Amino acid sequence: MKTELGTRTVRLFATCLIDAFRPDVGQAAVQVLEQAGVEVQFPSSQTCCGQFVFNAGYRQQAAVLARHFVSVFQDESTPIVALSGSCAAMVVHEYPTLVIDGVAAGETASWAAAARAVGGHVVEFSQWVAAHLTPSGAAASAPRCLALHQGCHMRRVLGENAEPAQVLSRHGIEIQELVDADQCCGFGGTYSMTEWAVSTALGDAKIAALEEAGRRGAMGLVSADLGCLLHLQGRMRRRGLSWPVYHVAEVLREAMQPQGGE
Amino acid sequence: MAGHLPADIRPWNVRRDNGLTNAIMRETLASGTRRFSEGKRQVFQGYESQEAARQAGVQAKRRAVAHLDELLERAQATIQAQGGTTHVAATAGEARAIVREIAQNAGVRLVVKSKSMLTEELELNKELAASGMRVIETDLGEYIIQLARETPSHILAPAAHKNRAQIRALFEVDAQQAHLPPPADDDARSLTQFARARLRQEFLAADMGITGGNFCVVETGTVALITNEGNADWVTSVPRLLVCVVGIEKLVETWEDLTHLIQQPAMNGIGQRLSSYTTLISGPRSQFGEGPEEFHVVFVDNGRRSLVGTPYEDVLSCIRCGACLNVCPVFRQVGGHAYGSVYSGPIGVVETPLLTDFEVGAELPSVACTVCHACGEACPMDIDLPGHILRLRQEKVRRHLTARSANWSYGMWSGAWATPAGYRRSLRLARLAQKIYLRRGWLRNAPGLAHGWFITRDMPKVADITFHEWWAQNRGTGAHD
Repeated sequence: MKTELGTRTVRLFATCLIDAFRPDVGQAAVQVLEQAGVEVQFPSSQTCCGQFVFNAGYRQQAAVLARHFVSVFQDESTPIVALSGSCAAMVVHEYPTLVIDGVAAGETASWAAAARAVGGHVVEFSQWVAAHLTPSGAAASAPRCLALHQGCHMRRVLGENAEPAQVLSRHGIEIQELVDADQCCGFGGTYSMTEWAVSTALGDAKIAALEEAGRRGAMGLVSADLGCLLHLQGRMRRRGLSWPVYHVAEVLREAMQPQGGE
Repeated sequence: MAGHLPADIRPWNVRRDNGLTNAIMRETLASGTRRFSEGKRQVFQGYESQEAARQAGVQAKRRAVAHLDELLERAQATIQAQGGTTHVAATAGEARAIVREIAQNAGVRLVVKSKSMLTEELELNKELAASGMRVIETDLGEYIIQLARETPSHILAPAAHKNRAQIRALFEVDAQQAHLPPPADDDARSLTQFARARLRQEFLAADMGITGGNFCVVETGTVALITNEGNADWVTSVPRLLVCVVGIEKLVETWEDLTHLIQQPAMNGIGQRLSSYTTLISGPRSQFGEGPEEFHVVFVDNGRRSLVGTPYEDVLSCIRCGACLNVCPVFRQVGGHAYGSVYSGPIGVVETPLLTDFEVGAELPSVACTVCHACGEACPMDIDLPGHILRLRQEKVRRHLTARSANWSYGMWSGAWATPAGYRRSLRLARLAQKIYLRRGWLRNAPGLAHGWFITRDMPKVADITFHEWWAQNRGTGAHD
């Protein structure tokens, strides 16, 4: 892949889940972007966007994490490429009203403005790739056919629907849509822990849909949200199922490898 | 003032597990809600004018809620002007007493009802039965669950959890008691034909009809009812006495408002352009016409007014179409009864604790939502359901309705992660501590809040080299923290 307009710089928003549990997704994203001539920066003070605590109802605690995120990313205006649609939605849609929670009256306007500015730079990874990179002619060593799971916040809060399938299709990867694709996989952040029974029932319904897509040729599951993938992968592993799960960045890295290469 | 809602007092995990283990319910509910959602998608295609109508309808509902007291005054005047009697009940108890007294004063023995969620909310049937009256539900779904002695599992399709074989079995018992031939088969036609014949007996013998009200038009004092079975036509025209029990949030000011709204419940709920029957009631029998000799409208508050002027005010715009239930992943898994409230699905999650000031359903915002936002997308009245569910979770934290251990965990977690050093330290600590839970390189368990995950799932271990560490080693300019 090549960038359309020469060298670009982006800042990577890696997310806590990728950092801790599947750092290879971050490495894959760096490799995809660098191979396309993009300069990748990683503000290493970043931690977590705070969505897990926000969705659980702990607004003040989430606001502390939100202000940390804004202070890490507010000084520059290069794009912030997020490796999760859900975390991107958190920053873009919740931060402007969240960051002012618990700050002195005189500072609310500046915090809100800073949050809006940071949110304005945030772009989900596949969306950024779809808009700025064009596929090179490299032969694909990625799976030929995958089922796509679109995370709910990416689908409904970011309103981003086409891009993951679009960037994968460009590399000749066939995308199978899941039955009931618009239904939540049941992850829901800490909902997966506190209300594990319903969460698991929903996960099993999604896994059944993946198995059905498998009968149509899908060789695994791809998503732009690692949270959903960890939930489904962890459930499948406990049940003795072995469908591979991939983040979009991992599949793109494979797709950009020469045939037979690793 | 807070209202009262009937509650299934069994704990959530009992209600939930009843739902999760009821295979028939899950199958019928999944196919029904899928069919409704698909119908909704199709009916809006090529019918663009309805989007403008929907938006105008939203504005009409918002305006009405903003002028609730004034519209309620005017509605009473217009209804009285055409010979109707009006009542205003602040509480569920008052509403029950008003309807019971109307019935007792008229010597009523048999009541026929059309579908009304509000009368479910009031448990009106129980009140009338306790006074010696027989009450028959005439909506097909309501009739089925009345025979089964159950409550509605879906606000629009009350018997959505039952399959044909179960319904036939209920009708066979009923046929014996009513000395009627049982349904010939368990197809929809046979079952409906039986119910039609059976309910006709009751319509002709009833001395009182009770309905809800989908809308109440202030300028003419007209109660609008929509049904797909025509049963509201019977209920409102045959018995000598008619009582419409209407939530105060059902008021709309003008007929123009009504025209924007009248298609919305059927379009959004079941994917039909208009419900099969639209019944409009303006006053009792006139000198020229037919209808009841005596006509009452009972307006009910029961907690509704307490939402006016709060961030939750838009909840009062709900038209009970059920679109949010049809798309809700949790609803599809556990079914309506798991909510323990007459109002289930996302609107029930929001409305049940709000109407009762958290007396009923305080657990619902936490347990019955994955925050997927499907309900927000589906709601034709633009009610901010996902936002309200999060707001209610925050309200629970403020009111100390959450477990202390959870407060502690979330506080420690977010506190540690608010600084880069604390974040990195906590991951290093987790990497050390996880060793006792590892099996073949995967986490099989964890303590505290995270334990729930591992009841049904594994988890990759905290990586030997996190992304932060990889970056520092491969791209970074030096060691951090």
